[in-house]
Amino acid sequence: MALIKVLDPTARRLDDNESPGPDAGIIGGKRIGFRVDQIWRCWDWISENWAEKFREAGAEISYWRSTNRSGEEGEEQDRSLHEWLKTIDIAVVGLANCGSCTGWTIRDAIAAANTGLPTVAVATRNFEDFAHELAARGGRSGLRVHVLPYPLNELAREDVEPVAEAHFKALVDTMGASLSEQEKAA
Amino acid sequence: MTIHTIRPSSRQNTVRKTLVSRDCGPSGCEVDWLTSRQLETSDDIEAFIDFSLKQGWGDGLPLIPPTDARVRSFLAENDRYPDEVIAKMPDSSECTVEKIVINAVMAGAPVDSLELIIAAIEAIAEPDFELYGVNATTAPVYPGFVVNGPVRDALKIPYSYGCAGGVATRANAIGRAIRLTMRNVAGQVAGVTSQTTFGSPGRISGLLMGEWEEKSPWAPLAERRAGIKGNAVTAFSTMGTMNILDTTSTGAMAFLEMIGKSVAYPGANCFTPSMEYSEMTIGINPICAEIIANEIPDIEDVQKIIWKFASLPGDWLQDLHRGQVEAQGRIREDGRIYATPEPKDMVLFVCGGLGGLHALGLHSFGSSLSQTKSIATVVAASEVRASA
Repeated sequence: MALIKVLDPTARRLDDNESPGPDAGIIGGKRIGFRVDQIWRCWDWISENWAEKFREAGAEISYWRSTNRSGEEGEEQDRSLHEWLKTIDIAVVGLANCGSCTGWTIRDAIAAANTGLPTVAVATRNFEDFAHELAARGGRSGLRVHVLPYPLNELAREDVEPVAEAHFKALVDTMGASLSEQEKAA
Repeated sequence: MTIHTIRPSSRQNTVRKTLVSRDCGPSGCEVDWLTSRQLETSDDIEAFIDFSLKQGWGDGLPLIPPTDARVRSFLAENDRYPDEVIAKMPDSSECTVEKIVINAVMAGAPVDSLELIIAAIEAIAEPDFELYGVNATTAPVYPGFVVNGPVRDALKIPYSYGCAGGVATRANAIGRAIRLTMRNVAGQVAGVTSQTTFGSPGRISGLLMGEWEEKSPWAPLAERRAGIKGNAVTAFSTMGTMNILDTTSTGAMAFLEMIGKSVAYPGANCFTPSMEYSEMTIGINPICAEIIANEIPDIEDVQKIIWKFASLPGDWLQDLHRGQVEAQGRIREDGRIYATPEPKDMVLFVCGGLGGLHALGLHSFGSSLSQTKSIATVVAASEVRASA
């Protein structure tokens, strides 16, 4: 056996931003945007639950729904996503609950984070590592990811609501947010 | 009811550039054109397989070590500079000619297949192919390729018996070269960048076949899709190969009804609410194609008939499924859900052995749209030398 030198067949982007991006800070008066999709009803329910709590803390809520990503409609989706990102102060992006939807969730979260918005992606447990892997490959290894239990979409709404309730505080922590001045001071 | 029709976007993979300045002219540049990291390993094949797996390069099958000499030799037979960036992949990694050649050498692909491989990579890198989703998904999807033109015979790409797999030909190494490039550059690695639940044998060897143009009663696929006559490749996403057996039908309508109904099933990607549209690719065997064309000469009419049968009654679906699809406006006035938005989205081509009897269903993934590219013609350096 002799030694030989072989050429590396792989290519990968070399740049990375390890920063999680800015904290969301005090919620009151902020415009919080939820990125939803058309697959996961559990994410619609959870984002509605969380949106109500943010409203109670004085935030405004808006939604952007991801649909088709190819052809003319995909081109329009790209445009509308970037327009929507200009209208919000904080992005909550989900749901990473399958392969391609984790891909697009992370891609859209990176797009939000790269505009300088405080951004958190939301993934279910099974797709947590994958979300971090794609974030790193997308050049944002420090992207904030909040993790929900899995499986989730298989549950009835009455079983999903307690999950939303139980995870709200942890979400706020992941966002680097506080619901009030008092809480921030504490 | 709002049917989302498929229209190509104006977005293009326009990354074409070179990494090395040409200011000094190719002959005057004292640069090493190969820039890939070099690693030391054993020349023993079994040791190299283990090494490649440890490095995360390999697919588990034997590989040819991509030495500097082998890569340069491959390049020398082609009219390409290694620093040319062919495409930007989903994670923004740059796919250069050098990386393609290294993977082609590892796969054992013939040197004259480079332009086909490049055209295939260009096709899947187009934004409308939606490789980002194709790579990441839990589905078993992978890109399949149909080749048109004389290059089919030059590269021994099968289009007759066993065209979808099993023929002994070096074209298999071309398919594998594309797969290794997918793995090592484009980012489709199960459990790492792909969440594919089951995967597919096609993720190892690829699916590279020709259209049997000489037996087709219709114009070649690339010409119908993109107006390209001659050498071309059409890339489409596929969940795998689905067989449709019909030993019973007589006449065009009966065959088309059988094909259409067979590709329509509730778990097919085209009926899920995850995307509002998708395409469907179908291979028709030459015997069946001739019978069909005798009665229905225009392929657009053939597409319309298959499309009509490739549908499901909306009330056949369970409530939750129907509810989501209905909310997308996909249940039409006749109460049916159609596999594709329009008949044109049925991508038909002719292939397969003369035993007939079967059709080839190739269900697409989500909103990944097929792409057709011409294949550049290269006069190999060895031919130039021989003729000088």
